Amino acid sequence: MDPRHSSLRSFALSLPAIIAIAPFLGACFYIFRFSVSGESGRISGFSLQAYFELAEPFFLRSIWVTVKLAALSTLVVLILAVPIALVIASVRGAVVRRVLTVTILLPMILNLLIQSYGWIILLGPSGVLNTALRESGLISRPILLLFNETGVLLGLIQTAIPLAVFPILSASRAISREYLEAASSLGAGNWRVFYDVILPLLRPGLVSAASIVFAYNASAFAIPLLLGGRRVQMLGVAIRDMISPLFNWSGAAAAGMVLIVITTGVLLLATWLINRSTRTPKSTGTSAPLQTGGGA
Amino acid sequence: MFSSLFSTRGGSYSFVIFFLTTLGLLISALPVIVVTLMSFSAAETAAFPPAEYSFRWYEALWAQLSSDESSSAHSLGDAMFTSVLVAALVMLIATFVCVPLAYALVRGGGRVRAGMELLFTLPLVFPLVILGIAFLLIAESLALDLGIWRLVIPHVALVLPFVLRNCMSAMNGIDIEIEEAAISLGASWPRAFLDVVVPLMKPGILAGLIFALIISFNEFTITFFMYTIDVSTLPIWMYSRTVSSLDPAVLSLSVGIILVDVVMILIIDKIIAGRASLF
Repeated sequence: MDPRHSSLRSFALSLPAIIAIAPFLGACFYIFRFSVSGESGRISGFSLQAYFELAEPFFLRSIWVTVKLAALSTLVVLILAVPIALVIASVRGAVVRRVLTVTILLPMILNLLIQSYGWIILLGPSGVLNTALRESGLISRPILLLFNETGVLLGLIQTAIPLAVFPILSASRAISREYLEAASSLGAGNWRVFYDVILPLLRPGLVSAASIVFAYNASAFAIPLLLGGRRVQMLGVAIRDMISPLFNWSGAAAAGMVLIVITTGVLLLATWLINRSTRTPKSTGTSAPLQTGGGA
Repeated sequence: MFSSLFSTRGGSYSFVIFFLTTLGLLISALPVIVVTLMSFSAAETAAFPPAEYSFRWYEALWAQLSSDESSSAHSLGDAMFTSVLVAALVMLIATFVCVPLAYALVRGGGRVRAGMELLFTLPLVFPLVILGIAFLLIAESLALDLGIWRLVIPHVALVLPFVLRNCMSAMNGIDIEIEEAAISLGASWPRAFLDVVVPLMKPGILAGLIFALIISFNEFTITFFMYTIDVSTLPIWMYSRTVSSLDPAVLSLSVGIILVDVVMILIIDKIIAGRASLF
């Protein structure tokens, strides 16, 4: 019996996994169906009412805050993640590598509550930053860093760094040492090599990292909930409020669809950009965000 | 082999790279460092850095853990038990379904494989809030009494991408000849699969198991929508304790969770290292 060809067996082997993912697909469909429901409390009939009701200043401002914070955090995360990825790619010692792995991976895996506690302690009215500023006489009253956009932005940056490091690191495998040696032996300085050789080769990884970080932060929930309070209404929190105090189920579903369109739109755009740029030359070993996902 | 990705010859370039790397790593680690230091504070308030250090909050946590197990419905002991039970179920189910799928996809190949890989990556990029709400809507409108499964089912979907990727990368390294040799020596296909292929997949399976365990154990967003008074996990217990003000006893619990996570990451790193890079 040849293990190579047996579509029936392949199907049988895939079946348990398909059953396991079925509730997820059901949930995706359900949220879409609810968003076009004729009534706000249950599924009945068809109507685009829930979408029309979203066109009010509160929700539009929420979209704006979400896109703004996601874009800003993506920019900062990329600036920090490129050097980290380059340094990790160069590390050889096993112990250093292990320490770096834990430091980078922990924020991605660790319970977001715990990370928020850290920021609350640091940025709160009696936190270390305010105390230091007050003792140095720069401020007389505590400045508000928490429960506004600054606190949320810091939290978003910190939790998304690992998501950006992984794709950039895998893109850095396309950079062979010979390129760099060739460039510097021809007289290019460090910055020149970085801009003309390293950055272009990292580009698929950068696009992938940027889209993943943007999508992840645009749909953030725990960080804006804990660090932003009620004042920073990113979409995730706004959607929760539609459900919890307001019981506007179809409105929440419609808002959810808007968020899905924003995030998948960015991911698809990035996938298209990468496929277009890697089709002509030989593959750089980086795949598009929809194939590599979060990285680890 | 990448030793010259950033130059060591000095100058402004190396300085900027090292400065940004240090800054990035510091920002990554800052919350964990702060929480760890604070948990040893001797003070009543959350003023940082603590003036004096003690184990009082660990003692407070221990007192809580050993006393209220029977008293309140929403106790720490119950939450811890549920968390571990959910994570264990999620880990076993996800691995059990992903091992045969990884085999089928790697041996099958072709168009189906690309489509299935994409399908099983979706939970990774799907907004968690929406997923939480969608599962809640389904559970509410169908009026299902799912018990602990109301957390296990969404968590399984969430960890599938991680488990499948680890299983597939292990499966990719297994030559089809090994399997064919077993079969030509008289083994039935199921025997060849269970006795030859699965043992060879072990590192990938283990890494997937631990990823599933760690992600389910730390999950907050979906659980936030799905928990009930009877079925509630550790992150939800922590949230309920800190929603108005920060209870330092929760910080000592956080340090425990941080330690568990670090150990898990080191185990994954050890399993994967040498074969393929973690990244």
